[in-house]
Amino acid sequence: MLSFLTSAKASMHPSRFLLGTVSTLSLLAPNFVFSEEDEELNFVHDVVPILTKAHCNSGACHAKADVGQRGFRLSLLGFEPQEDYEHIVKEAKGRRVFPNAPEQSLFLLKATNTVPHGGGNKLARGSEEYKTLVKWIGQGMPYADESDPELTAIELEPSRMTMAKKAKQQLKVTAKYSDGSERDVTELALYEANDKAMATAGEKGLVETSDLPGNVAVMVRYSGKVSVFSVSIPLGAPVENLPATSNFVDELVFQNLKEIGVPPSPVSDDATFLRRVTLDIAGRLPTIEEAAAFAADTNTDKRDRVIDALLDSPDYADYFANKWATLLKNRRESKADITANFAFHSWVRDSLLANKPYDQFVREILAATGTIVENPPVAWYKRVKLPEQQLEDVAQLFLGVRMQCAQCHHHPFERWSQGDYYSLAAFFSQVGRKPTAIAGEDLIFHKRGTAQYVNKKTEQPVKPAGLGGPSLEVAPDDDPRLQLADWMAEESNPFFAKVLVNRYWKHFFKKGLVEPEDDLRDTNPPTNPELLDALAKHFIESDFDLKEAIRVIVSSKTYQLSAQPNEHNAVDHQNFSHFYPKRLQAEVLLDAVDCLTGATTSFADLPMGTRAVALPDNSYNSSAFLKVFGRPDAASVCECERVQSSSLAQSLHLMNSSEVKGKLATAGGRADRLAKSEEEDAKKIHEIYLAAFSRPPTGEELSIAESHINIPRTDSAGKPIAPATAKKMAYEDLLWAIMNTKEFLYNH
Amino acid sequence: MIRKFSYLILASAILLVANSARAQLVGFPDPHLLTTMPMGAQQGATVEVAITGQHLEDVTQLIFSDPKITAKPVIGENGKPVENKFVVSVSKDAPIGIHDARVISRLGVSSPRAFTVGTMKEIACTEPRDSKEKAAAISVNSITNAVMPKRAIDHYSFPAQKGKRYAIECAAVGIDSKLTPVVIVADAEGRDLLVNRTGGVIDFQPDADGTYMIKVNDLTYQGSDRHFYRLALQEVSADGLPPRHPSTAKVSAASWPPPGLSEKAKSQEVEPNDEADRAQKITLPCDIAGSFYPAADVDTFEFTAKKDEVWWVEVASERMGHATDPFVLVQGVTEKDGKKTLVDVAELYDIASPLKVSSNGYSYDGPPYDIGSPDVLGKVEIKEDGVYRLQVRDLFGGTRNEPSNEYRLVVRKEQPDFAIAAWAVHMTLRNGDRAAFSKPLALRTGDATVLEVLAIRRDGFAGDIDLKMEDLPKGVQATGLKIPAGKSVGHIVITADANAKPDFALASITGSAKIDGKMVTRPCRLATMEWPVKDAKQEIPAPRLVNSMPVSVSDSEAAPLSFFAAEEKVWEVTEGEKLTIPLKAVWREDFTGTSIKMKAHGVGFDRLAPFEFPLKAESYDVELDLATLKTKPGEYDLAFYGGGVAKYRYNPKGVARATAAKTKAESEAAAAAESAKKLTAEVTKAAPEKKAEAEAAAKAATEKQKLADAAKAEAEKHLAAVTKEAAPKDRVDILVSKPIRIVVKPKAEEAEKAVAQATPKK
Repeated sequence: MLSFLTSAKASMHPSRFLLGTVSTLSLLAPNFVFSEEDEELNFVHDVVPILTKAHCNSGACHAKADVGQRGFRLSLLGFEPQEDYEHIVKEAKGRRVFPNAPEQSLFLLKATNTVPHGGGNKLARGSEEYKTLVKWIGQGMPYADESDPELTAIELEPSRMTMAKKAKQQLKVTAKYSDGSERDVTELALYEANDKAMATAGEKGLVETSDLPGNVAVMVRYSGKVSVFSVSIPLGAPVENLPATSNFVDELVFQNLKEIGVPPSPVSDDATFLRRVTLDIAGRLPTIEEAAAFAADTNTDKRDRVIDALLDSPDYADYFANKWATLLKNRRESKADITANFAFHSWVRDSLLANKPYDQFVREILAATGTIVENPPVAWYKRVKLPEQQLEDVAQLFLGVRMQCAQCHHHPFERWSQGDYYSLAAFFSQVGRKPTAIAGEDLIFHKRGTAQYVNKKTEQPVKPAGLGGPSLEVAPDDDPRLQLADWMAEESNPFFAKVLVNRYWKHFFKKGLVEPEDDLRDTNPPTNPELLDALAKHFIESDFDLKEAIRVIVSSKTYQLSAQPNEHNAVDHQNFSHFYPKRLQAEVLLDAVDCLTGATTSFADLPMGTRAVALPDNSYNSSAFLKVFGRPDAASVCECERVQSSSLAQSLHLMNSSEVKGKLATAGGRADRLAKSEEEDAKKIHEIYLAAFSRPPTGEELSIAESHINIPRTDSAGKPIAPATAKKMAYEDLLWAIMNTKEFLYNH
Repeated sequence: MIRKFSYLILASAILLVANSARAQLVGFPDPHLLTTMPMGAQQGATVEVAITGQHLEDVTQLIFSDPKITAKPVIGENGKPVENKFVVSVSKDAPIGIHDARVISRLGVSSPRAFTVGTMKEIACTEPRDSKEKAAAISVNSITNAVMPKRAIDHYSFPAQKGKRYAIECAAVGIDSKLTPVVIVADAEGRDLLVNRTGGVIDFQPDADGTYMIKVNDLTYQGSDRHFYRLALQEVSADGLPPRHPSTAKVSAASWPPPGLSEKAKSQEVEPNDEADRAQKITLPCDIAGSFYPAADVDTFEFTAKKDEVWWVEVASERMGHATDPFVLVQGVTEKDGKKTLVDVAELYDIASPLKVSSNGYSYDGPPYDIGSPDVLGKVEIKEDGVYRLQVRDLFGGTRNEPSNEYRLVVRKEQPDFAIAAWAVHMTLRNGDRAAFSKPLALRTGDATVLEVLAIRRDGFAGDIDLKMEDLPKGVQATGLKIPAGKSVGHIVITADANAKPDFALASITGSAKIDGKMVTRPCRLATMEWPVKDAKQEIPAPRLVNSMPVSVSDSEAAPLSFFAAEEKVWEVTEGEKLTIPLKAVWREDFTGTSIKMKAHGVGFDRLAPFEFPLKAESYDVELDLATLKTKPGEYDLAFYGGGVAKYRYNPKGVARATAAKTKAESEAAAAAESAKKLTAEVTKAAPEKKAEAEAAAKAATEKQKLADAAKAEAEKHLAAVTKEAAPKDRVDILVSKPIRIVVKPKAEEAEKAVAQATPKK
């Protein structure tokens, strides 16, 4: 046996001193006898991975923030082994471990559910992991020797491959140590696929693909190290007759489609394109005049010209301001917020209208100073008050990095530590505030002084540093926020441009190249990394031109592909082989309904005729329509706050609500006007189709509509209804039916 | 004997009748001029101006702060003045800029309203223009005066040419309007091209000839007749900053410029002084003009200085009307082995307000006037000979690219001086009502009102500042209570005699002090709120400086209550002894409660325990025990004050007049009815050839009857309105005594000692 008392590490383990006095208890440990040759275990390398694999240190169990579980606390995923060691070995007067009879340790009795354990049986008695823990306790709970090698990396075999549909692949995970040694940790590693519909990863590293083609990644974690297994699952269909490429987007998308054997759908027709691009850029339906003019236009570059016209229109600024103002939390919390919110929303809108470069736009928010009325982006500091909130919002919104976890512990899926977190907070450490005449509104200035923030873990101040960048020495006079903005706009910044192009890509394609769109990390790779890189590069080279970022996307053939899948690509949901139809957003749908019916929605404090996409803040969500269709409350920087799923309430609202009925029956509205018009019905039906779908009705649609309009109508008593009234009812019915079609409710 | 004045510290006023404060109106009504239409005129023009206001009856005059602008009432067809309409004449040499318009009415002189004199032609636009189809055509080089309706966007169209440069600005905030203007230049179809929402100028250079549109709205689409604006559209030269519409001055501007400073700076900053190692070399003293441009601009100046020198640094930018927050850092430069090291010597921030500025909450916690400024005024003490660097930066300037954000940097040897500004005091109340801040100096007979005077002391000046108010109307007196050495707050009590006749005068306040052995006198600026704010939480009071200081006294109403010492004399008392002052009161209205709690404020007397002046009592003996108060020998001005809730009746004389007018209208209506009846009856009797004539006469009489009936109905309505207004309502206000002068003499032995010391020994 090892001589505990002479061990150099004995002083680390107070419980060992108990051994002499309770030596008789050693009789209770008959199962395991350790020989001198037994290599001493290492807590960090041998024990923590077992706890992680058994989920003991998951957020839901003993790593629950601050409290742990029933008095026993572990660090999340074992990122703080020193603390875990203290808790297991020394806390609770050392009662959790019993070196003289390791199997009688509470630590093991609980884990094996031998004594009641809230978490159930996490460790099978007799398993290798169990034996390791018993051995470790029997060895007197050694922590680690200073000379012990460090884990430097984990290596995956294979790390990238093409797999067939419904195929299996066993991964092998090798831990690499600083002394050059290696160890197979396949059994102890954790596995998680980023798209579980495409692939699953078993506990022991067996990856199984489903029948969906595309790219999927499996994140592998072991002892704080992460790696990714990238899988390409080809469909294997012939990819022929690709549309002529418009730009690099098409080249990279089509290249991927060829690789995975998914043939794209053909390019959509003009009417579909016009409706799609107008909805996506301007947040509105094309007008009848626009639809007719586009159909009649014989120029070959008419699609590009309509894109430019839309990007130059204030409608684009309104629509994208709606997106940004929500993400920037332009939220009405009290009546007095109206001025700040209107000012900030307008500033966003005006910036987009002027096509302010994105880096400048972000810079003006991050480093805003003064008062809200004089410099509206100061409003961001009214909503987001503390450096912690500021850095978290900035990281997620502008860098696509979710830093929230790293405030309290090392990020579980990422390389970010608390040091990184507080270094980012340090950029906001010199934000000075002075009260203004308006209650609750401070004016913001740069407070002279050393930019630094205390790391709550180490209680030591840290200097500002961009993520993954060196610590910066910011002169006391210089506003560190400007340096943060400088760092973001550096060409080499790996996050700033990427998250924007990914966010915009998702806006147009429904699905980001990375999902969620604001969660860019090594362990969540893009489905088409070359495309994301190229888009980011293009964006940087265009000097962060937001309109250009949109232009390059929507002028691609990829964006213009039909939503109609072909015989092969219907299963594809991430390679953009066809356009993925999207439900219209709440505001867009309300505007579309108004546009179709000729009604106007009145919004408090705004001029009549203000579009729903131009609403400045969430206070308008008192509108039943906007609420039911999921307009977000601007409470977070996540686009996921917008509910885009369908619901029964939505269907009922469109079919039966008094609001929609009122719109259909609006005096002077479309139904009223068409009913009174002397024009022939076919022409009027043509107008309705053009207004709703930007296309004329088909012959069948026309004849159905005409016959519906001319059905004799009777009241509930069976008496004929006066022709004028009947006609109006008929047109209201037709509008109602069209409004409830998927073709109307979706951008396709 | 050294003369001392005590002073009032009314800002720390008592909580008045707190429990009932919620339901009360605050302050006795004052006349307010609220709007003029148009809000300005071109030099040399004569225009008709319509006014509206509050508590305005019998408006007889429209007056301006500059005598080159005059007004006469519009005379109607009946030869009588048309109510609230004036013909304003602006002489050709009237100064360009903002002037204050006021009216003289039943209650005296009103609060001011900005009136701009400019060089461009002016139009008043009253037609609806809330859509692009209804856009009002305006011409280049014009000013459009208009009022913004609620939830509206005003549209204008104008012709513009490629290659020309146009400056478009909507003046509102700087001319007392409640509008926060948004100005948009759009194409002919109304599609937005350029936007300004922060009160700046749009610099528009069209890509093509054509018709363009200007859209104006309020930031939050508020609107009313108080949301007025002046839209300036002018063609400007290709270079330089576009001209700005003049603006009223902020209160902070009272301390700028320092006396004797030339209008233009002696030198200019020279870029690239924004690079630390290329600092602009200067010698002290200096007077430099510069601008915080481009964004995050830091201008660095380098100078040499000697040990023990003291330099005063003053920067103006916010006080010049810019939304900036200047900051100055002075650092010593040491060089060793070719490496320069900078050591901080001084950080100079804001000019602090001597009083806590209101937080504008529900409770009153200080005046919302801030004579302080984000500008810089401070000193730099040089500890050793060497090279120094002075950095000027705008703490608001990190991302803002405004070439118009100019500054003036003055570094000088100590030149002690001061600047002063005054405003009406308010009281500690908890209902958010700040109307009293905008009260004009319109006194009722027997009235007493108080101004708070604040000083910004320059370059370490710490001495007494004597306050004096002159050029008052007949029957009005003012007592200036000095700003004592080392302090920054003083007061002026203005009182009107009980038997004063209506009068009006342009008064002035000055502060005088002995500086370096010489007496200097500085003018005092008066500040007011632009609007009588009823709820400071809902509407932030907007303070500004006014351009003149008119004072009036009116005998239309008397002050509800007057306090004064029984005798008008200098009260004498010996140090350590007691002095009893019989304080008399004249009650002209009913007051609620049983007494008025009063205090004496001022150096030497501020520890006097509050006393209760019984309601309706004619007199109350106030005992001042100088032993307890420990008041030193000297001369003091003292005032007592408290808060009271009066059952105030507004314009009761108006009820009598309205009753008489109604009676007259009734009798005229009756006569008209009688006449119509008679003439109608005569139609049937009339001979056929006279029938048409009789019918015409009957018809005319019937029309006249209708008019008389309408006049009668109007008179009845008016009587009902004035009767309602004249019904007693609880109004709380500060009630101030006439100032009382007290001389505290030294004790006899002290006096003898002083005499003995002064007498040469034989």
